[in-house]
Amino acid sequence: MITVEKLKKVYDDTTVLKSIDFTVKKGEVVCLVGPSGSGKTTLLRCLNLLEVPEEGTVTIGKKTVDFGGKKLSKKDTNELRAYSGMVFQGFHLFPHKTVIENIIEAPLVVQGRDKKELVAEGEELLQKVGMLEHKDKYPDALSGGQQQRAAIARALMMKPEVMLFDEPTSALDPQTVGEVLRVIEDLAKEGQTMVIVTHEMNFARRVSNQVLFMDGGYIVEKGEPEDVLVSPKEKRTREFLQLIKE
Amino acid sequence: MIDWFRQIQWEHLFDPELAWNSLPLLLQGLQITLLIALSSMAFSLVLGLFLAVGRMSKRWYFYLPARMYISFMRGTPLLVFLFILYYGIPVLGIQFNSAIVAAIVGISMNFAAYSAEVIRSAIMSVPRGQWESAASLQMTYWQTLRRIVIPQATRIALPPTTNIFLDIVKGTSLASVITVHELLYSARLVAGQTFDSMTMYITAALIYWGVCIVIGYFQERLEVRYNRYLTKR
Ligand SMILES: Nc1ncnc2c1ncn2[C@@H]1O[C@H](COP(=O)(O)OP(=O)(O)OP(=O)(O)O)[C@@H](O)[C@H]1O
Ligand SMILES: [Mg+2]
Repeated sequence: MITVEKLKKVYDDTTVLKSIDFTVKKGEVVCLVGPSGSGKTTLLRCLNLLEVPEEGTVTIGKKTVDFGGKKLSKKDTNELRAYSGMVFQGFHLFPHKTVIENIIEAPLVVQGRDKKELVAEGEELLQKVGMLEHKDKYPDALSGGQQQRAAIARALMMKPEVMLFDEPTSALDPQTVGEVLRVIEDLAKEGQTMVIVTHEMNFARRVSNQVLFMDGGYIVEKGEPEDVLVSPKEKRTREFLQLIKE
Repeated sequence: MIDWFRQIQWEHLFDPELAWNSLPLLLQGLQITLLIALSSMAFSLVLGLFLAVGRMSKRWYFYLPARMYISFMRGTPLLVFLFILYYGIPVLGIQFNSAIVAAIVGISMNFAAYSAEVIRSAIMSVPRGQWESAASLQMTYWQTLRRIVIPQATRIALPPTTNIFLDIVKGTSLASVITVHELLYSARLVAGQTFDSMTMYITAALIYWGVCIVIGYFQERLEVRYNRYLTKR
């Protein structure tokens, strides 16, 4: 479903992603862990083309983009983006739209679909993430956990093959973390392919099929969650796990 | 003090009968004033939006001309620009078929520069995350601008835009200098015939004030509407 090869991203003078290779199979849940500044967010943003990498190739679904030579075209951007949906740490719901308006906005404008149909579909999805009763509220009137669940529904409305999560619970109060993680676990059970950046190690062990440990712009270790998170081979992985346990 | 107050000849300051009798003529002038003001508001907003987008572009052939334009219009008096349009342009073989059109073009072009700056800062105050989440949902630049960013920027731009509108209303009085028969022109006409300048200018001032009060009322209504999604605080 996802294949990343020799991916490189440079900001001004710092190389944030040095050479990233990994693959994600269809239906797989991959957790991306690593210390702050290791490039996790950058990697996710490169998959969604919010950042344009300097080198390497990304394949998602049936679309492959090679960043080596010429400038990235709008067409390539749109085609690759159509395969993924993104959930941000800070939700970024549209504040001037109600929950239901938020989630039907993109299919309405981008795909030009019928509004009635979308509202019905949207309500079904909101039911699934436990947000149906709040469908006519504005984001400002919702808790962080509720906003994030609405944001997940918004991304799902575009029916992406892959869902990308960047620390979806890091901006939340502790008591609302659980409700968001539960929604993500439900998606995992349904076979939704996902890449999740997270610091919740227990959650990562429960939900993922593969864990990638990143440090210094490389994927230092990857494998089954029990291997990487419980008995890692690499010294740096062990140090990191030790650090977050304290 | 009291003597000074007593010796004022009130009938020379304001003659209600003259004001009343000249009202039909002044209201005719007001129609022209409103025509110029309303069309200039619309044109300056639209032109200002494009200037703002151009000014924010990364491409030099968009942002350089936009910057030049804004700098020139903000740095030159409107009256001078109206003179250039009305007396200067015909030399080039272009003739505005009426002074009103020249006034609308001049005022719109001038105030577009101020609109552009207001719109630009309002657009830039919309958080980057809004652009990014819209992009990740495959919305294009213009779709995002139109459906996501501008509605939020409007709320922020409302008070300064109202100020621009008020300046436009008052700025239309400059059109009297290029022979447009608007409110101030009408007032001056009567003043010239009756030698009662005070009454006429005070009446004109009150009418301008009235128009601005109406605009202020609309601002308040719109503010309530655009703030409705903010429930906290
Ligand atoms: N727009 C940018 N311009 C310059 N440098 C950047 C930019 N964005 C990120 N960086 C740098 O890239 C590096 C990796 O950042 P990134 O946000 O990907 O790390 P992260 O693994 O997500 O960290 P965290 O766990 O804190 O979210 C950091 O050193 C950061 O300072
Ligand atoms: Mg990050």
